[in-house]
Amino acid sequence: MVARLIILWAIVGIPLLWGMEKTLESALKLFS
Amino acid sequence: MSFFDRAHTVAPPGYNRFLVPPAALAVHLSIGQAYAFSTFNLPLTRMIGITKSAPGDWDLTQVVLTFSLGIVFLGLSAALFGRWVERVGPRLAMFTAALLFSGGFMISAVALAFHWLWLLYLGYGVIGGCGLGIGYISPVSTLIKWFPDRPGMATGMAIMGFGGGAFIAAPLSTSLMSHFASATSTGVLPTFVVMGAIYFCFMMIGALVVKVPAQGWRPEGWVPAAESRKLVTTANVHVDVAWKTPQFILLWVVLCMNVTAGIAVLGQASPMIQEMFGVSPIAAGGFVGLLSLFNMLGRFFWASLSDYIGRRNTYMVFFVLGILLYAYIPSAGHAGSAATFVLACGIILSMYGGGFSTIPAYLRDVFGTMHVGAIHGRLLTAWSAAGILGPILITLIRDDQIKAGVAKADAYSLTLYIMCGLLAVGLISNLLMRPVSTDRHHQGDVDVASAH
Repeated sequence: MVARLIILWAIVGIPLLWGMEKTLESALKLFS
Repeated sequence: MSFFDRAHTVAPPGYNRFLVPPAALAVHLSIGQAYAFSTFNLPLTRMIGITKSAPGDWDLTQVVLTFSLGIVFLGLSAALFGRWVERVGPRLAMFTAALLFSGGFMISAVALAFHWLWLLYLGYGVIGGCGLGIGYISPVSTLIKWFPDRPGMATGMAIMGFGGGAFIAAPLSTSLMSHFASATSTGVLPTFVVMGAIYFCFMMIGALVVKVPAQGWRPEGWVPAAESRKLVTTANVHVDVAWKTPQFILLWVVLCMNVTAGIAVLGQASPMIQEMFGVSPIAAGGFVGLLSLFNMLGRFFWASLSDYIGRRNTYMVFFVLGILLYAYIPSAGHAGSAATFVLACGIILSMYGGGFSTIPAYLRDVFGTMHVGAIHGRLLTAWSAAGILGPILITLIRDDQIKAGVAKADAYSLTLYIMCGLLAVGLISNLLMRPVSTDRHHQGDVDVASAH
């Protein structure tokens, strides 16, 4: 059950973190 | 089809309830793509000319209507299919949402192949929009039942996904379009096909994993508070009764005002920072991205906080702090204080997102868990109304101000002060909230399936 929990959270978490990183990258242009 | 039945989705003993939020997130992260539809706007106006618009190409106004239709049908389908979603359970509802949402992309791809605008409207706007509405409400009541101890946090987590979907969709669609683009294609058509397929698979993960708790299930060690708070009921109100109560109307106004005010900032963010502080369009794009981040994180933060301070108090913060911040923004512009301007807009957007994510738990408190998903669906018509009212109001006021000779940088002030007025209406509505009278409580079986 724990492995399933980790896999499932990774499936939704990784794309979300990737998208957030891309957004922050572009947001940094505001301060540069 | 029995795999999709509500009866087959009842969790076995020992099932970990923390598997349900990622299932809900899989659906909400997918349908949140709608917020990034604007990445297709310009390429869709060059389907014939490829590098620039040619005679016969659609104009921007025609293309933008696709997104507006999607949001209108989100609200309509959530209102119309709310009871059906409650009856069939989350798995079949998520599967249906996956079919409609990805089907919308596929039909839109056909529309692009033949350059039929009406089919684009039907595909992404109507069919995809129904997928948005059903997908949006499908996990809400399930999460509330799994997390009776933390309903705000649970629904906040899922609805955060809707705000976060754009973060994935925007870079994904841009990368796919540049991959497929050629001298004879903008790359939008194959991008629609690929995105339709990806989102179908992603949403199906949610549909396959989601489970409902067994009747009478409670989290281990959790006992409902012996003395409930004034606005938290242990009774249930039937959806057909609930939407005729003053409480429903007051909450409808609360949501509508909060969303309209948020749209005022979100919709004008890019030109506002450029005209007030003279930043470049690229930096303004970064600012919009930053606001989306606040919007997403606010959904989780405020809804979780509402479990501790109560739903009504949370909305009190939204309205009182909102009025102060909206009134402050023009002063920040005059003082040339970009950092405080960015911070104020960020907090406003976090409360805009928080308004969406706290409302399901507020409805649970007021109307009980029995039909909370269906009631939530009907309340989402406030979002559709705000989606139409907000941009029209803002554009009209701004155009009127500029025609009257007000400088562009100052033309936002009146809009923002009017938004303060709208927030005051929301504040009064929230203050008027009282428990639903006992004669409207549902008597008898609380099983959602038998209530129909």
